Amino acid sequence: MDVLSPGYESRCEATVDVSARMRPMGRHARAFRNPVFVPYGEAFGRVMPRVAVFVGAGASHSWIWFADLLERLGIYDVEFITEHSVLSAGLDRMDFLLIGGGDTYAMAEALGEPGARAIEDFVRRGGLYFGSCAGAYLVLTGVDLEPFTPFNLVDGNMINVMPDPPPPRCLEHKYLAPYGEEWVFHPVYGEVEIASTRASLVFPCFEDNHLRTTLFGGPVLEAARVEDVIAVYSGLSDRAAYMWERNEAARLLTGRPAVIRAELGRGIAIVSGPHLEHPLYPHSNALIAEMMSIYWSRDPGLRDPAQGVDFHSPSRGEGQGGGGAKANGQHDASPLHPGLRDPAKQREVRELLYEIKRQVSNARIVGFGLEKLPVIWKIGVKVWEPAKIRMFLDCAWSRLDTLDANAGTLDPEDLAPLAHGYSEVTLMARNLKMEVESGKDSRATAESLITSLKELTARYLSLYYRTRLSGNYRA
Amino acid sequence: MDTMYYGDVLVVDLDAGKTEQVDFDELDEAGPGLPAGIALYNKYSDSDPLVLGSGLFTGTPVPGACLGFMIGKSPVTGELAVSPLSQFAGAEMKLSGFSAVVIKGAASKPVYLWLHDGVADIKDASSLRGLDTWQTTDTVRHDMGESLIQVISIGPAGEAATNLASYSINYWGSGDSAALGAVMGAKNLKAVALRGLGMLDAEEPADFYEQALELLGNATASRGFSGVCASLDADDIDEWLRPMIHRYRSCFACPSACATFVKYNEPASVMEPEGVEEPGMLVADAPAALWLKSGGWDAEPACRALEAMARAGVDLLRGARELSANPLDDPSAISAAVRELKGSEHAGWPSGEPLEYGLFGPWVPPLGSQDEWLAANRAGYVLGICPTLIMTGGIDTAALFQLCGSAAGLEMDSSSVDGMF
Repeated sequence: MDVLSPGYESRCEATVDVSARMRPMGRHARAFRNPVFVPYGEAFGRVMPRVAVFVGAGASHSWIWFADLLERLGIYDVEFITEHSVLSAGLDRMDFLLIGGGDTYAMAEALGEPGARAIEDFVRRGGLYFGSCAGAYLVLTGVDLEPFTPFNLVDGNMINVMPDPPPPRCLEHKYLAPYGEEWVFHPVYGEVEIASTRASLVFPCFEDNHLRTTLFGGPVLEAARVEDVIAVYSGLSDRAAYMWERNEAARLLTGRPAVIRAELGRGIAIVSGPHLEHPLYPHSNALIAEMMSIYWSRDPGLRDPAQGVDFHSPSRGEGQGGGGAKANGQHDASPLHPGLRDPAKQREVRELLYEIKRQVSNARIVGFGLEKLPVIWKIGVKVWEPAKIRMFLDCAWSRLDTLDANAGTLDPEDLAPLAHGYSEVTLMARNLKMEVESGKDSRATAESLITSLKELTARYLSLYYRTRLSGNYRA
Repeated sequence: MDTMYYGDVLVVDLDAGKTEQVDFDELDEAGPGLPAGIALYNKYSDSDPLVLGSGLFTGTPVPGACLGFMIGKSPVTGELAVSPLSQFAGAEMKLSGFSAVVIKGAASKPVYLWLHDGVADIKDASSLRGLDTWQTTDTVRHDMGESLIQVISIGPAGEAATNLASYSINYWGSGDSAALGAVMGAKNLKAVALRGLGMLDAEEPADFYEQALELLGNATASRGFSGVCASLDADDIDEWLRPMIHRYRSCFACPSACATFVKYNEPASVMEPEGVEEPGMLVADAPAALWLKSGGWDAEPACRALEAMARAGVDLLRGARELSANPLDDPSAISAAVRELKGSEHAGWPSGEPLEYGLFGPWVPPLGSQDEWLAANRAGYVLGICPTLIMTGGIDTAALFQLCGSAAGLEMDSSSVDGMF
């Protein structure tokens, strides 16, 4: 019998980390309260950008961190887009495009040449592209291999590539990804320090010229022009795992670009090796906020009039909760369903919200159980740990109270698919756990569950952000 | 009080098959923990309720903060009685998203309650009818997909509502000598399953956390029952169990790992859980084991008897007392003897005459005077701290009361606790 087989587990009753059960102790909670965010919500001005977050093929869980960051910045005009959206002119109405971590191969294959052109056109017309980790690899001109060849936004390359990397000291499953005849390798996994360069002195978030962030498989960059470098890797940390000897890792990273930019047409592309959007690193979050807000507040005359949008026009809305008119005919910033005063409908909304709560709770509980099991799944070139499952569910759970407080603006037709979806997710999670515990191959079930969770979370967050954008929003 | 509890009370109407959440006014009016639970019981007393709740610190890092409670009218005495929710059930009660649960009425068919993260589900338990507590625990955990779910269930004894019935916390029995398991049976309530991933707020979180850790550092850590037995001037059951002892374990957040897992279906030297599905039993009830030892039972059949009683949902303490005079060896004879238990004996320790039954049961005070025993139980059930840990001096009670400030902005001491009862 395996140590973690059901028979043993059920009789052992593994102990619980009691310290984790005290809300104010959570580092995550502290990050959310960090006053470093206070100025940034206001820095965008009265008119907020429309932001697209890529959640399509290959995207890992890290786009959730973008969603968290945007909410903290007070940016609620957010769409969670897939490759299908990109390929059907979905970027035409957007101002920013954010692509986080994941499986770069899957992203590039799904987007293809038409997707690459759509993204490039979006930037050339005045859009801002921000890519971290996979979103950075994707658009480097130096990454010249199918299916990446069409993606050329940033004149730069990665240097963490070699044909025969030395064996790792730890985290073997996180160490390598194939790259033609060579391998992309990751010498460090966790916290790193980055420093501003001359080009980035306009960013006040750098305290003493340095800030801490986190590197989970992103590139060590090389920039074609030194003036394109916003930040370089400047130090390592005890809060990281080292696949290479620390000294060797430092030798590779230190002084190399971590964040670089490229102007293209009227727009800009910024790529980052580290996940600057990670919620435990508010100062690195602030760097994203500063880059976006500085770009956003530039001369509106630089923007593409073909978009038909006066970015600084009051008709675009009054910022958060402004209840303004539609822009480009896409978002209705008025209350979603002001006519929903029918008690029966309201009861239905309440019941559906309770059902969502029930199923998200059930699935989280199973997800927590999965985290005790020694299993990982490789889907494409991306390694998924069970903890990622709960991250999607926590994302929904933490926003339930807000939806509940705004129940009067919600439509049962929006909620019913979510309730059904989370019910399905609960069943899939239970099946997955049974497969893992019984020693079966669980990869296919894990992939189905993760795909469902991504789709469901994107749908849930879309509703959530529409609710927050509503003029009738209640905290 | 805005901290240490979630706020709402869940009222479960088994007659109607419905639940509702109501304000927890009793928390501020009567005091935290058991006093609030008693106030809730009195409020709903017309419907013969069971009330589940937890103490102020239950589920926090305060040492010994494992204790929740179930209260109801005891079939043994006809009076209000409290039984403990220890192990991990008290903590999950606190973290389930409900500050307290009132269960009134009786269901028309077997049901179980699934309480999780502020959601209350009344679920059909027809398929659980007739199952013992081990099977019930396994089935609920399997169906819900998680082995950390705490299952408070009854076995055949509870379903028959005998006055020897006791609820079991997962597999290992409980300290329910008031036959509240029989009340569950009468309500057609097969089980209450608890799990929550929530987090608690403290009034001064950083201070509270630091003080709790300091208290933990100063608490007396121990293993096994030796300390308790020595205090009782009773035989040391640890030596009696020694050849079978596999490991010790504590309840939630407790520095004292008194519960002792013994293996008798495979050698205790087998560290890996290989070979047999059910290697043994977690002995968590020292007086029950003491009764069997004092009656001349060998350790192995005694533990098999404890297992049989835990599976059947029989009060280990009173059952062991009744069995003690006739030592048995054969497992099938033990099972038959457990099935034929009459419930004729009172609870109590073999080291002395039991006190009259009261709110906290009929235990002979194992330490000190009756007043000290009452004080430890009152403080324990208000604060959510194991009374045994308090009585054995494992924790500084004055320091516990000081923690009430950073936890919930309360000033409390032993006299104010006495005033709550």
